[in-house]
Amino acid sequence: MPEKRDRLVRYDPGEYRDRFTVFFWVILAAVCLLVLRLWYLQIIKGEELLKRSENNRIRIREVKAMRGIILDARGVVLVENRPSYDVVIFPEDVKDLKGLVEKLENLYAKVGLTFPMDYETILENRRPFTPLRVDRNVSREKLALVETHSLDLPGVGIDVMPVREYYYGESMAHVIGYIGEVSREELEREKSAGYKSGDFIGKFGLEKALDRYIRGRPGGEQVEVNVVGRKVKTLGRVEPVQGYRVVLTIDSQVQKAAWAAMEGKAGAVVALDPRDGSVLALVSRPGFDPNLFNRGVSADVWEKISSNPLHPMENRAIAGQYPPGSTYKLIVAAAALEEGLITPETSFNCPGSFEMGTRTFRCWRKHGHGRVSLHRAIVESCDVYFYHVGRLLGVDRLAQYAQAFGLGARTGVAMAGERRGLIPTRDWKLARFGVPWQPGETISIAIGQGYNTVTPLQLANAYAAVANNGEFFTPRVVQRIETDDGEIIEEFRPEKKAVLPVSRENVQLLKRALWGVVNEPGGTGGQARVAGRDVCGKTGTAQVIGMAEGDDGSAYPYEYRDHALFVSFAPRDNPEIVVAVVAEHSGHGGSAAAPVARKVLEAYFAGKARP
Amino acid sequence: MKIDRRLILNFDWTLALLVALIVGMGVLNLYSAGHGISGEPHVKQIRWVLLGIVVMALAFAFDYRWIARYAYAMHALAVVLLIAVFAVGSVTKGSQRWINVAGFTMQPSELVKITLILALAKYFNDHRIEGSYGIRELVAPFLIVLVPFVLVIKQPDLGTALMLMILFGSMVLFIGVRWRTLLGLAAVGLLIIPIGWNFLAEYQKERVLTFIDPQRDPLGSGYHIIQSIIAVGSGGILGKGFMRGTQSQLKFLPEQQTDFVFSVFAEEWGFLGALLVLLLFLALILWGLKIARHSRDYLGTLIAVGVTMLIFWGVFINVAMVLGILPVVGIPLPFFSYGGSSMVKMMAAMGFLMNVSMRRYVLQS
Repeated sequence: MPEKRDRLVRYDPGEYRDRFTVFFWVILAAVCLLVLRLWYLQIIKGEELLKRSENNRIRIREVKAMRGIILDARGVVLVENRPSYDVVIFPEDVKDLKGLVEKLENLYAKVGLTFPMDYETILENRRPFTPLRVDRNVSREKLALVETHSLDLPGVGIDVMPVREYYYGESMAHVIGYIGEVSREELEREKSAGYKSGDFIGKFGLEKALDRYIRGRPGGEQVEVNVVGRKVKTLGRVEPVQGYRVVLTIDSQVQKAAWAAMEGKAGAVVALDPRDGSVLALVSRPGFDPNLFNRGVSADVWEKISSNPLHPMENRAIAGQYPPGSTYKLIVAAAALEEGLITPETSFNCPGSFEMGTRTFRCWRKHGHGRVSLHRAIVESCDVYFYHVGRLLGVDRLAQYAQAFGLGARTGVAMAGERRGLIPTRDWKLARFGVPWQPGETISIAIGQGYNTVTPLQLANAYAAVANNGEFFTPRVVQRIETDDGEIIEEFRPEKKAVLPVSRENVQLLKRALWGVVNEPGGTGGQARVAGRDVCGKTGTAQVIGMAEGDDGSAYPYEYRDHALFVSFAPRDNPEIVVAVVAEHSGHGGSAAAPVARKVLEAYFAGKARP
Repeated sequence: MKIDRRLILNFDWTLALLVALIVGMGVLNLYSAGHGISGEPHVKQIRWVLLGIVVMALAFAFDYRWIARYAYAMHALAVVLLIAVFAVGSVTKGSQRWINVAGFTMQPSELVKITLILALAKYFNDHRIEGSYGIRELVAPFLIVLVPFVLVIKQPDLGTALMLMILFGSMVLFIGVRWRTLLGLAAVGLLIIPIGWNFLAEYQKERVLTFIDPQRDPLGSGYHIIQSIIAVGSGGILGKGFMRGTQSQLKFLPEQQTDFVFSVFAEEWGFLGALLVLLLFLALILWGLKIARHSRDYLGTLIAVGVTMLIFWGVFINVAMVLGILPVVGIPLPFFSYGGSSMVKMMAAMGFLMNVSMRRYVLQS
């Protein structure tokens, strides 16, 4: 029997009498406390709380976080936030929705406007306790209109949303990008990131790439509102946290100059600092105004942008693939020197054309350059000289050097949509077309025509390698991400990419030749000259179709005209800036692209002079 | 087992009546609180009450001394279920509390409250000592509560974890401890808090901080409290009438069918109604103490005290929270809050109370 053990210690509940008494009083006191509190709330404060419950207008409202601002390298604000006003309906404050919508429609009609939403749509889209935005980003006039009639419009309110203000509009659209309302797919994909429908998210450029840093964290407000839904008192508030600040390597003055210099042209300009790979300017023309995307882009604006044959949304600086033309000669020359195929003294005769088998390859100068050595061949951009060199080198050896200069591969800049360009080899052609490489094709690629394509950023970085005596970097657009107080969240340090397989003497030799292009008589790049700065550079004119000799192409339709290229750096001895310009279908590099580079260089040096 | 005829004669009608009244009011209130909420909670709640009555009958049909023999095994089973929650449990509102057993979803954390009472009652009954308890004698019973406590905290369900500790504390205070031991335990507790703090995850810390200072979270529990106070206060003396509470019918109240169910009642039935409910609970609690006092043995006393404390603390903490004198912590109001596990647990507890009460005169054969 289990009870047996119980009997060993005789049970006497009396032993616990005092403890029962203590428990009794404690319980009684606790219940009395509750009753007193009930008395206080229901009888003493009853009237007052009854009133509060009758117009209980305590609401929780989200307070949107402001996105982080974006600054240029000098601390100039490129992107900020400004308030935008929405007309909203708070469904719980509306007793007669149909009547309210009618009132709104009449009110709008009185001043000649149409109310953008009908009753059915509102009915369909309303959710309890969620303000429904019925008219977005309204003008000051509309704002005043709704505000002055607020007493007749119970449940209608104005909500403030921070929107982006892109001070540099089109000129930086491709770098900075734009934001838009989060789409259904993005909501799915970014589930864990805490987006809600109606939130904004970066859609393009750095706004997209750095979204998780820039977006910040929304706060909320517990507010008491009056009968028409207007805030009377804030009862509690969790402050939103603004997104982190992004500091770019871009210099807005240089960027602005580059954008202006390309006025009327399509193409791209890239400026970077060869000493650490910082991108100082990155322009793609035509552009688009990211401010238009702020609150959802309208159908006709979108139509205009997407139907433009020049594709304004494409970032040509990193995604445009162009034949390098004569700018490629720098690489051909470096390869031939390193391989010992030529010396600075080696010379070839240029009678104005070059025969190979049955084909004739022309020099751009109809009557030829006569006998030229390497220096003059670069300065005057003699094609025939490089036909000879190209034949000696062969396609695969040239490709090796081109790759060493970073061509044919993404530079690794932290921007979405970068393209690779193309550096052809024998194997590539066989695999691609199933036809062996033709010797004549080597002659074409020796002057940057044929299958070769590069992006403006690649081109700039390849020249940066020479400018910086062989050492070059992965281009970077963002310096650092920091808090408002300047505490660094993430820093993007210069990243050394590679060292050119070119000797120091050869680099110096090439630099002197590039200086000659701009500064010696007969040089093709004279228009890039900047007084007092030893500018070096190389012109390029990339054919889109073959033209008769001496034809400047102006008689041809736009899309068949030559691309004009110019790549430069300055000053010669300690280069601080590299500028690559590609102007589509604009004619000769020396006349159409070199002046653009000059303006960019001038802006850079002018900016340096300013504190 | 032969059932003694006197057992039926000794059926505790007072207890049954009190429970019936409270449960009835609870379901009625839930009908109003759950109005317009999908799934008609009051209908489901009635099903839980019926299941609860069956469990209650089971809990008093067999002699508690016989049931207590399996107290440790039952407690161990509850702990295993708590562990299983992490493996196969489902997550709602950010914490993992539910488990599927034989087609029912249940909360093992509710079951463990009952098994804890039984296990502690058995332990203190088996290890009776002369005089007051010291630290050395409390180590083993402390382990009985510590294991489920840690598991429940991990879910995380601070309300239930707190309840387990309070139950343990109440029973220990009842059996009597030395003053020195009491002070020593308090000191150790104060020392453990800062150490344990570092082991908590960031969101758990945030919960604890909000628990201490609701103003940290004005959009969450701060909002709940204000709405609840408005609801209760606006009820006045006589209330707004059944189904006519504006706060609750307009869904201003958060969790109005679970943790804040009492504010719905107070709004609609006023001070008189709320007072009646509190008095009914007080009557039930005092009746429980009476049962404990008149139990025929020490085991019965301990079980009855544990069960009574379960009701008392549930009512006190929940109502105090609803009235804004305690921070918001998820403890349901016994018999009133919507939820199967809680209802079945409370009915089982009443079964044990009945069990002790019915057998107070039964002589041993």
